[in-house]
Amino acid sequence: MEKFKLKVFRYDPTKDTEPYYKTYELPVEKGMTVLAALFKAKEEQDPTISFRYNCRAAICGSCAMRINGHATLACKVQITHLLDKYQTDTITVEPIGNVKPLKDLIYDMDWLVDKLKRVKPWFIPKEPPPADGTEYRQDPYDHHRIDFASDCILCASCMSDCNALKANKNFLGPMVHSKAYRFAADTRDGAKKERLEAVLEDFNLEWCVRCMECTTRCPKEVQPYENIIRLRIMAAEEGYKTPGEIHAEIFEQDIYNRGLLNEMLLPMRQEGILGAIKRAPFGIKMMLKGKVNYADFFGGHKIKRLEEVQKIYEVAKEKEKEVKIKLPQIMGVIYEDKRKTRKRANYAESGGNE
Amino acid sequence: MAELKYAFYTGCSAKGVAPELYNSTKLVAEKLGMELIELEAATCCGAGAVQEKDEFLALTINARNLALAEELGLDLLTICNTCTLMLREAKFKLDNDPELKNAVNEVLKEAGLEYKGTSEVTHFLWEVIDGVGLDKLKEMVVRPLKEFNIAPFYGCHIIRPPYLIGYEDPDNPKSIEMIIEAIGGNPVDHTARLACCGFHSFWSAEDKVTLKLTAMDAQSAKEEKADFMVTPCPLCHTQLDAMQEEAEERIGVNIGMPVLHLPQMIGLAIGLKPKELGLDKHVISTKEIIQKVA
Repeated sequence: MEKFKLKVFRYDPTKDTEPYYKTYELPVEKGMTVLAALFKAKEEQDPTISFRYNCRAAICGSCAMRINGHATLACKVQITHLLDKYQTDTITVEPIGNVKPLKDLIYDMDWLVDKLKRVKPWFIPKEPPPADGTEYRQDPYDHHRIDFASDCILCASCMSDCNALKANKNFLGPMVHSKAYRFAADTRDGAKKERLEAVLEDFNLEWCVRCMECTTRCPKEVQPYENIIRLRIMAAEEGYKTPGEIHAEIFEQDIYNRGLLNEMLLPMRQEGILGAIKRAPFGIKMMLKGKVNYADFFGGHKIKRLEEVQKIYEVAKEKEKEVKIKLPQIMGVIYEDKRKTRKRANYAESGGNE
Repeated sequence: MAELKYAFYTGCSAKGVAPELYNSTKLVAEKLGMELIELEAATCCGAGAVQEKDEFLALTINARNLALAEELGLDLLTICNTCTLMLREAKFKLDNDPELKNAVNEVLKEAGLEYKGTSEVTHFLWEVIDGVGLDKLKEMVVRPLKEFNIAPFYGCHIIRPPYLIGYEDPDNPKSIEMIIEAIGGNPVDHTARLACCGFHSFWSAEDKVTLKLTAMDAQSAKEEKADFMVTPCPLCHTQLDAMQEEAEERIGVNIGMPVLHLPQMIGLAIGLKPKELGLDKHVISTKEIIQKVA
């Protein structure tokens, strides 16, 4: 029978000074998930392997771990798919990233809970329920805006692979910002301002690097990245002047006035004269390397047919008030290129991610 | 063979801080038999900045950008990961929501334009593989880069999120390695291969996040003894090359890892000169690479 290797991250702080990996050889069985493989190794070879699990059906969020380097639910991915996907005979399981391991695949959750508490992830009603004894009512479109965000099962797969968190553990993280959005955007909730202030403290919301790992990892298609952006849009609408907001304004002005971004004048407009002075040594370095387009200091080049763009701006700004943009339905969607004549990298055909 | 003709969307960087990308793309494309018709009326894609302030406006300007390619009856080719994602995101939303498409077209009508959805958004990286083809590329190699260990740096927006990109598996992409092998180089695996350069939080978290990521990425390539990194994205390039010294300074490390744009690397292998590819326009010195290929 065909075999594969399950390489497991092992660590017991009561006796190990360093984590290590232990490999278990197991038969490849059709339909076997990584969680099932862990059970098999534990039951038949080593009862000391520790991991969290509960529902085994991708609902509870307990068994998130890093599998061949990427976070997902161990109960949601199958061994045969992984062996094929990575063209390997070894599946490596580690605790999710950005956390403190407690024992083997079990990690410290207090850190995540403390972060969550900061955005008060519970409903704070705007007003008492209707006097006639019915429930709080909500327009279907308003509900749609928070529908996907409500599906979060707090598995923390997104927190694991977040690049901003990797660099700085004080970033609240996609799971927390996404949760803040779910309540701040709820038309029945009365603590929108409080929630926005919590995520904007030290501009935390804008530490996100837009690496798209969270949305890629999320096993429930919660769209954490998109929720971060929706939260930023809400902050802009509420009139908060953040660096991101200033940045967006510069882009909007440049597109209107010349079509393309004026990168040369960006630092000055972003950070003012003091910022420009701070960036001067960098600017000189860029000049010496011939990376500076001098004409841009005097307005520079304009795109052709700029008048079209200016006309569009005026109409779009008006129209925007009445347009109800639906959130993208991404469940199981892999963008498919219509150019059938070209052989793409087989990804869409294989069904993509699990 | 299909005609390799594209509506060329340059983006802002190639017209601003990365002129060497613009020039090397045109030279390499010509040599590879790709015809690039520059969209001189295209605007900035919004880069995620406009998108997080005015979602509808961002969609509309990108619908216009796409409509410009449709006017020519060509697919739109980008040379920047973020442009690729922003344009594909707009296209995804418009193609999947007829009401939204109508609303956008009502605005575009004012400027005499219409978004139909007939042009695809593709990237130079993908067209070298699917359009030109790796066999053809191999045939054109006159200076195999066999003595170079090359660390691919994909950059986020050419692999994630798969519902908008979907060209290859975001967990295990191979396209850059395939090109490196085709031109005779040795692809180096490194921990930051699929990581983020930090560019998009620069103005909000330069010290807290961005420069730390930049340093980790360059360091990761150095640990695997790469001679240089290669990226298909000018924003990653600006971050990894132009900002590398700042990152070294803040983190207190010494890295000195050269970073090449994808077309520059291909150009060296198909006989273009380092000077015409703009290798002298980098902040981190490419002198050793230039000496080796001479």
